[in-house]
Amino acid sequence: MAAAALCWALRAARQVLPSPCPRQVRSYYVDWRMLRDVKRRKTAYEYADERLRINAIRKNSILPRELQEVADKEIAALPRDSCPVRIRNRCVLTSRPRGVKRRWRLSRIVFRHFADHAQMSGVQRAMW
Amino acid sequence: STSSVLSTDKDKSAASKDSTPEGASKSLKDGAETPKQQLLDIIGNMKVEVSYRKKLQQLKSSESKKQVLNKLEGPDSEGSVPQGTTEDTQRGKPLNPELVKAASAVASSLPRNKKQTESELLAQLRRHEETTDKQKKGGTINIRNVISEMTVKRQTPAQRSGRISGRISLQLDEDGQRIRPERSSAQSIDSRRYFCFVHFQSLKVGKRLNIFTKTSTEPEHALKTVSSPTIWDLEFAKEVAAVTAQPPRNGFEEMIQWTKEGILWEFPIDNEVGMEDDAEFHEHIFLEKHLEGFPKEGPIRHFMELVICGLSKNPYLSVKQKVEHIEWFQKYFEEKKELLQEI
Repeated sequence: MAAAALCWALRAARQVLPSPCPRQVRSYYVDWRMLRDVKRRKTAYEYADERLRINAIRKNSILPRELQEVADKEIAALPRDSCPVRIRNRCVLTSRPRGVKRRWRLSRIVFRHFADHAQMSGVQRAMW
Repeated sequence: STSSVLSTDKDKSAASKDSTPEGASKSLKDGAETPKQQLLDIIGNMKVEVSYRKKLQQLKSSESKKQVLNKLEGPDSEGSVPQGTTEDTQRGKPLNPELVKAASAVASSLPRNKKQTESELLAQLRRHEETTDKQKKGGTINIRNVISEMTVKRQTPAQRSGRISGRISLQLDEDGQRIRPERSSAQSIDSRRYFCFVHFQSLKVGKRLNIFTKTSTEPEHALKTVSSPTIWDLEFAKEVAAVTAQPPRNGFEEMIQWTKEGILWEFPIDNEVGMEDDAEFHEHIFLEKHLEGFPKEGPIRHFMELVICGLSKNPYLSVKQKVEHIEWFQKYFEEKKELLQEI
C-alpha cells in the first residue's frame, strides 16, 4: 500500500508533458505539503456534489430528524480529504502557507521579487 | 476652322491606325461644347442596341482612309454613293426605322458628304445586324479561329467612355497581328473594332484547342491496409511535429501558439466558450415534471419543491445537471424508504 501510494505520488509529482516545450517547465511540485494540498483539492472536487446534497438534507427543518442523523453519519463516512475546509491556499511557487495574495496565488516574497523586476503586469511601487 | 483642324488631325494619324481612335476620342472630347457634340450626346444616350459614338469613330477613321483612297481613285468615290444606296435596297433585311432616322440625323450633323456618311452608317448597321445573326446562329468567323469562344458585349455609352483605354489596348494586341495584310478593307476593320469589347463566356465550353494533353485523374488510393496507425507511425508523426515546430519568431507567432494550446483566449472574448446550453428557458424553470417519482404529500415533497425552486433560479447549472441532482435525491430517498416507513 505504501508502494502504491508512492507510485501514485511519483506519478502525480512528475508532470510529463507530451510535446516538447521551449519554455521553462516545472516537472515536480515544490514539496510534499503542496502535493497533499493538490490531492485534497482533487478529492474535494470529486465529492463536491454529494457533500452539497447531503448537507442540504442535514441543514433542514422540514425533513424528520432521524433522516438528518443518518445523513450526518453518511457525510462523516466520506474521505477526510474531500472536505473543502482542508484546502490551504498555498503559494504556487514556494508553497508558503501564509502571506499569500489570492489574486496572484503568490506569497508576498515572490510577489515582491517579481514586481521589482517588472515581471508583474500592471503592478507598480506605491508612492503617494 | 474646326473642320480643317479635324481633317489635318485625321491625315496625321492616318498612318498609324492605333492612334486614330485616340485622336477621334480626343477630338470628340475637345468639342464638348459645340452643338454638334450635344446632338451626338443626345443620340448616344438613346436606347438603341448599337452605340453611335463607336460608329462615328469608325466613320471618321474610315473617312480618313477614304481620303487617302480618294486621292488615288478620284472618280470612283462618286460612283460609290449610288452603289451604297443600291446596296441598301438590295439587302433583304430591313433596318429599324429609328436607326435609319438616327443615322440620317447623325449624317446631317457631320461636316462631310452627308449622303456618303449616311450610306456608310447604314452599311455598317447592316453588317452589324448580319454579324449578330451569324453569332446567334453559331457560325464561326474565320478571323477568330484561335480564340474560339467569344461573345459580343453590348455597352452603353457611359460604359464605353470608361473603357476606351481598355479597348485601345485590345486593338493594339489585335492589330499587331493582323493590321498589315488587311489594312485597306473597311469591313475587316469594322469587324475587328466590333470585336474589340468581347469577353470570354466560359473557359470549359466550346472547341478544344488541344494544346495540353489531358492527364488521367486516377482515383486516390485512400484505402489503407492498416486501419489504425501503428506506434511507429505515431512516433514518426511526433518526431516530425517536434522538428517542424520552430520557436516563434515574434510576439504574434507566440500568441498564436498560445491560443492553439489554450493558454490564451480567443479575441474578441466570447463569454460562452465551452458552454453549450441548447435547452430553452422553460426546461430550466419548470422542473415539476421530474418530481413524479416522489410521494405527493409529506415533508419529502415539501423539501423537493424547495429544491426545485432553488434549481430554477440557478443560472450556472445546465439542464442535465439539474436533472441529475433531482435523480440523486430520488435514489437517496428510495434507499431510505424502510427508515422513512418506520417514522
